Amino acid sequence: MSEIFNEPFPLAYGTYEDAVKLLNKPGKNVVAEFSVNWEMIKVYCSMVEDGNASYWDEDYANKQWGGIVAPPGLLLTWAMALQWHPEKEREHYFIAMKIPLPGDTLINVATDTEFHRHLYLGDRISVVDELIDVSEEKTTRLGVGHFLTTKAKFFNQREQLIAEQTNSLFRYYVPEGES
Amino acid sequence: MSRDITFKYWNEISEGDVVTQITMDVPFERVILDAAATQDYFPGHHNPAYARHQGQKEIYLNTMAIEGFIDRVVTDWAGPHVFIRKRQMQMRSSIYAGDTLQGEGTVEKCYNENDQHLVDVRINISTESGLCVPAALTLELPAVRPS
Repeated sequence: MSEIFNEPFPLAYGTYEDAVKLLNKPGKNVVAEFSVNWEMIKVYCSMVEDGNASYWDEDYANKQWGGIVAPPGLLLTWAMALQWHPEKEREHYFIAMKIPLPGDTLINVATDTEFHRHLYLGDRISVVDELIDVSEEKTTRLGVGHFLTTKAKFFNQREQLIAEQTNSLFRYYVPEGES
Repeated sequence: MSRDITFKYWNEISEGDVVTQITMDVPFERVILDAAATQDYFPGHHNPAYARHQGQKEIYLNTMAIEGFIDRVVTDWAGPHVFIRKRQMQMRSSIYAGDTLQGEGTVEKCYNENDQHLVDVRINISTESGLCVPAALTLELPAVRPS
């Protein structure tokens, strides 16, 4: 690697054994920075050119769902960390980023989500997630590393279950000379 | 530009039905918009040098953008009254700035469960390089068209 990157996305480093110790231990309950808001819904929908009236048309959404709802694909976004905060250290909220392993980068591999109810404007989610699997070292076409599987539960401010998500990612490094 | 809205009802859908294909180009601007829209500033989504360091050829869309496109394929086809119950997706290869996305699918199963009228669909997201993200969704729809 010839280029030095600032670490805008700090990861935890350690060994496979360190990671295994964190299996099946739920992380802290994280309350989202962002409440569900129409402006972010519109920006997201414009990104994928989604004209679904449930996200744009108040009259239709009121009749169909009882209000404008959030696109399911925005689920994770509400709980993303800010890039800077006056009182909080920068950290990732999702446990997948806090697992100590040797890899200096990652790529998402698979995401399964089950949705139980909609999110509405003004809702504020909280998330609890945990590491449920970590593979031994594997070599793929991208590099050498470990597959991590996490499970997250998302609730609204009334403690109603919104969605459950199981996610797998590959935490890896590119061997010297191959980057 | 407005689009016509389609409303399909559960009793109008059959196994083997084709989910209408849609396409969308992915210029650099859309990948950057993705990072901002989803608050996902992982550098593979906005820093070409970092993406190459990862073994990727270019900056690429994140999972949330692909989820949004998959869901759009489904709701453009069946209507805004669809509730997405489940979505399973595998990222087999990345979707890069400069690619064109294509989404299409087929209906695999129509059934009733817990008083819900459900449809299972398989959606494939491809680019010029081939299949990138296969997905399987379960949709809940109103049973019949209101009279």
